[in-house]
Amino acid sequence: MRRLLLVLLAGSAVLSGCATVPSGASYEKFVAANPRSILIVPVANKSVDVDAPAYFLSTLPVPVAERGYYVFPVNAVKRVLEDDGLSDAFLVHQADPMRLASLFGADAVLYVTIERWDAQYMLISTSVTVEFDYVMKDGKTGDTIWTNHQKLTYAPSSGGGGGLGSIIAAVVSAAIEKASPSYMPLARQANDAAVEFPGPGFPAGPYRAEYRRDLAPAPGAKPEK
Amino acid sequence: MSRSLLAALAVAGLAASGCAGKVSTYRWGNYDEALYAHYKSPQNRQAYVASLKTIILAAQREGKTVPPGIYAEYGYALYEEGNAPEAIRYFERERDTWPESRVFMEKMIGNARRLPPPPPAAPASELEKARPS
Repeated sequence: MRRLLLVLLAGSAVLSGCATVPSGASYEKFVAANPRSILIVPVANKSVDVDAPAYFLSTLPVPVAERGYYVFPVNAVKRVLEDDGLSDAFLVHQADPMRLASLFGADAVLYVTIERWDAQYMLISTSVTVEFDYVMKDGKTGDTIWTNHQKLTYAPSSGGGGGLGSIIAAVVSAAIEKASPSYMPLARQANDAAVEFPGPGFPAGPYRAEYRRDLAPAPGAKPEK
Repeated sequence: MSRSLLAALAVAGLAASGCAGKVSTYRWGNYDEALYAHYKSPQNRQAYVASLKTIILAAQREGKTVPPGIYAEYGYALYEEGNAPEAIRYFERERDTWPESRVFMEKMIGNARRLPPPPPAAPASELEKARPS
């Protein structure tokens, strides 16, 4: 019973995207860069789903802006880059970050790449997997100031052995999932987990009350237990 | 038994809180869903533009700050429709609300000034006529 509860606890922590263990990442470069504004450029795509990058782009501005930063209008940025002949996101990602940042007057540039955005179809379940790589670069130096990687899989539970009824229910839900796999909730969950702070995310920006007050003491300076 | 009760409560607590950091600073309305729907069906642009306008009006009504980027996205929609004067008005609002946007907004204002005279009205321009502010 106790073990089951522990498993449940661990599971719920994962589901809620809640990191309780400090990642131990160094925020020195991020703090030195001290960005006020973040330019989210179009998403690069390594999956086979050609629609994924635009869909995923729509999930990015809200969680990043809610961290306390000015976020440039992602759709206007995308269109302006396209007008400038940069409709291939990989070209944007390969361009000089300092030049890109100065074009928009941005302090930092956030590059997100889709590694996976796919569904595995099985008889009574369809599992959906998304995997993203996040890289933020300083607009003044071009240095990488923050990175994160998220991989999430959604596999509907089989109902826990509830007999024929639950198998039928599972088949029905698998059919629904197959018709339209639900990537978006999973993508939003990945973003929330990526920007969570303390956790893998980055410190709060100037539009949050905890700006410059949310950094834990340097590693090694933790209170003795 | 009390231990498992505590653990169960902890599970419930975590699930309920979804952990900290879920409190929104801004009122985004359905911005991300609307942008997603716009990318999914580009021909259905009107709903996206209307949603931007709704966010702006709601913030103004409640005396709240319009979220970063929203004035600019709305201005860009007007710009795409060739409505330079209105586009410039919203680019200026973005610039004045969010000083970080100055460089980009000045560029967009310059682009809008070079636009040819507007073609027949399209969605965002219609919204502007319907609700003069």
